[in-house]
Amino acid sequence: MAFLELEKLTRSFGAHNAVDGLTLGVEKGEFVALLGPSGCGKTTTLQMIAGFVEPTSGAIRLGGKDLLAIKPAKRGLGIVFQSYALFPHMTVAENVAFGLEMQGVAAAERRTRVAETLELVGLGAFGARFPRQMSGGQQQRVALARALVIRPQVLLLDEPLSNLDAKLREGMQIELRQIQRTVGTTTILVTHDQAEAMALSDRIVVMNQGKAEQIGPPHEAYERPATPFVANFLGKTNLVNGATVRPERISFAESGLAGTVRTRIFQGNHWLYQVDTASGLVTVIRQNTGEAMPGEGDAVHLGWEGRA
Amino acid sequence: MSRNGPIALTYHVLFVSFMLAPILVVCFVAFTPEGYLSFPTDRWSLRWFYAIAQYPEFISAFWRSLWLGAISSAIAVGISVPAALAIARYRFPGREAMTALFMSPLMIPHLVLGIAFLRFFTQIGLGGTFTGLVLSHIVVVIPFALRLTLASAVGLDRSIEHAAVSLGASESVVLRRITLPLVLPGLVSGWALAFINSFDEVTMTVFIAAPGTETLPVRMFLYIQDNIDPLVTSVSACVIAITVAALLVLDRAFGLERLLIGRSAGHGR
Repeated sequence: MAFLELEKLTRSFGAHNAVDGLTLGVEKGEFVALLGPSGCGKTTTLQMIAGFVEPTSGAIRLGGKDLLAIKPAKRGLGIVFQSYALFPHMTVAENVAFGLEMQGVAAAERRTRVAETLELVGLGAFGARFPRQMSGGQQQRVALARALVIRPQVLLLDEPLSNLDAKLREGMQIELRQIQRTVGTTTILVTHDQAEAMALSDRIVVMNQGKAEQIGPPHEAYERPATPFVANFLGKTNLVNGATVRPERISFAESGLAGTVRTRIFQGNHWLYQVDTASGLVTVIRQNTGEAMPGEGDAVHLGWEGRA
Repeated sequence: MSRNGPIALTYHVLFVSFMLAPILVVCFVAFTPEGYLSFPTDRWSLRWFYAIAQYPEFISAFWRSLWLGAISSAIAVGISVPAALAIARYRFPGREAMTALFMSPLMIPHLVLGIAFLRFFTQIGLGGTFTGLVLSHIVVVIPFALRLTLASAVGLDRSIEHAAVSLGASESVVLRRITLPLVLPGLVSGWALAFINSFDEVTMTVFIAAPGTETLPVRMFLYIQDNIDPLVTSVSACVIAITVAALLVLDRAFGLERLLIGRSAGHGR
């Protein structure tokens, strides 16, 4: 039996099923991402676990106990919101201490644990500041510290990095993964960013229209997508003669599918090609190794593993 | 910041002069020695300020107005908070009607309210009492209190409260530690605006107040019906001086812009 179990979880809004019979088991210490486009039901799922939305039917169990019977305030979950949702009228240390205060932790221990957790997220010197005096990335860390300090049974992350710029986001992804590995908290991440989901999680749940299209390790879902939706959502794909081929698996060969380079775009570490072939337009990604590559208008042959 | 052109500057100067001129004239006349309103003059005296001391009813009316404004505004804000939170958050039957009801005193002429309250209070035995004044002023100032409270309740990010709940806070703790502090700027500015409107109210109050429960504006209104001398200008000058002092203190303490425009504190993003 898994640590956190969602069983046939359903939430309807009128005639529309936002979440439709979702079943998922999350192991202790596991990092699972709910991935999908907006409106796929991932946020509603998270809110049902948190207790802010009531399921229409189905069950949620945490450590074998019925979670739905427990009030949101008593569930002991740490949540990081997309808007960070820091308490603007409290200092960073007061924000982080709030959950401990609610648990009735003594003042001295509170101070120690707040200091430890702020240290963990790299904000040891910022306890006396107010959230508005900090950058988006720093506020994000405060939100994470506030959720982690109560040693939650499950950490819920709702699009935690989507308000950060691209460069900061990448740095935070690495840090978030390290922190999660360090503290070992079972974590559920909701995101629409497939790169983020794949970078961070042990398993991803690709959701579409309230249902899980595929549940599995990121590498497996990417390499062996269960449905065309999963294949498309996780990355660029080519549909050639009924077979799905990732663009980076196609190489220029001596023989094979004949075509003409329509466009060639240089993207630093790789080249992005669009090649006209008899089977339609094919996208090809080649590593930039410094060698000369075919140019626009050149006649080429395309080959890939498993090609008939 | 772009600078004003000459036409805009002229307009602003004219507009501000138009706003300030009556106040300045009143203060000016307060310092004249004549027994009638004379302007301009080159003779100065504090005679009419000393004269206030001979009219204790002005002083007691001033304190009554102060208390009336403070109490009725506080109660109005107290009623507005749950109403504003309900209106801002929930869609329930009668929501529109409730908002309209709270705002309706703005539409009804104060003259009508005055006559209605006079009749009503006489009927229930509150005619000419301070309690009656407080009740009627609550009705008149509640739209102002609700407007500003509502503005800050609408601007409140619900996920902040959800965060508090997820950290183990009960509903009452969330209200006390999170919600109320976050809407506090709206409450303070709502109270201030309600107070100003209560302090200023004369059309309705003149019907309800009896000798002994007259507010300052009512006292002044009744006085100038019988006398045309600068006493009311010296009283006005005192009120203006107190107002300016109060505004300076408020600005130092909270920042006037935040209070009156109702921008809530600390939404850092």
